[in-house]
Amino acid sequence: MSDELIPKVKQMIIDSLRIEGMSPDEIDTDAQLFGEGLGLDSIDALQLVVAMEKEFGVVVPDAATGSTVFASVRSMAAYIAENRK
Amino acid sequence: MICWMFPGQPITFTGVPSDDIEFQKIIRVCQESTGCNPLENDISDSDISQSVRLQLLGTCISLHRSSQLTIEGKVPDLIAEHSMGIYPALAASGSIDSATALELTYRIGVAMAKRGMQREYALGCVIGMSCSPLEEIAANNTVHIANYNTSHHFLLAGERKNIDAALAEAKASGAFSAAGFPCDAPLHTPLIAEITEGIEQIVAGYSFCEPLIPLVEHIGQTVLTAATIPAFLVDELCRPVYWDTTYRTLRSRGVTQFQEVGAGKALSKFNRWIDSEI
Repeated sequence: MSDELIPKVKQMIIDSLRIEGMSPDEIDTDAQLFGEGLGLDSIDALQLVVAMEKEFGVVVPDAATGSTVFASVRSMAAYIAENRK
Repeated sequence: MICWMFPGQPITFTGVPSDDIEFQKIIRVCQESTGCNPLENDISDSDISQSVRLQLLGTCISLHRSSQLTIEGKVPDLIAEHSMGIYPALAASGSIDSATALELTYRIGVAMAKRGMQREYALGCVIGMSCSPLEEIAANNTVHIANYNTSHHFLLAGERKNIDAALAEAKASGAFSAAGFPCDAPLHTPLIAEITEGIEQIVAGYSFCEPLIPLVEHIGQTVLTAATIPAFLVDELCRPVYWDTTYRTLRSRGVTQFQEVGAGKALSKFNRWIDSEI
């Protein structure tokens, strides 16, 4: 179920963070998004929170939850699959 | 219309172009003008705090990036600055040279670090909360909002115990994240007013040319002139950075492209957020 969301999550990351010159295929599904990997930070996290709520109706309430949800594309997709109505 | 944006000090020593020959030249200028190499942690010099080293490093990186862009034949129509980004911004505008930008960064940074010896100060980064409730929390805990970066990104400054209490209250009130870190002095707050006399004396020792490229400041979004620069350099330390308003003002004045000239991408990310609200 959540695997079907993976391409959509990758596109959402690219669109919401305005990552130029990168296609969804170039984002590793299991790579760390913060720190290493895509090198995202807390400013990006809030942008992703807003995008997830807008696109999937899923709320990430705080940074502690966010650190688990935004660990990778796969974890984001799993969280969306579990929490969307 | 193109605007170069000069960010404030970086928060880490990562992402430094240490192997770049041109960057090494700027580090040498820094050593000659301040006696300090921001890449070396010389613990024998008690004047050099971690914050001062980061402030100098930020200025070095911005000067290097600005020089690279100039070599590539790029010239901005406007320049904007955030916090300590004012010093390399002044250099890029043609008002002062690189050595003076580094000297000012160092001397003002050291003056503020001495302020920090009297009390323990901290900064608090609050993300995902709007302005009004955070202003109330700041007032409740006797701290100040030092940076209004976007509608939902703020930096608090004040005494450490008060910052800790304010951050706890912000988290309890629904902030997405609220993180604190130590600093030398509560920059961009009225708490700096006690040392402005010393800063005025430092600034009075320099002369400023008329900027060749218009430089928009972060408080009232005016274009700085040779006559207004000295007062601004003192005033800005005691007043908040209004980046959200600055960016919106630049957009309304016709800026279509923004180039971040310094360490990191924080300003570009703030702009991305603000754009999403426009």
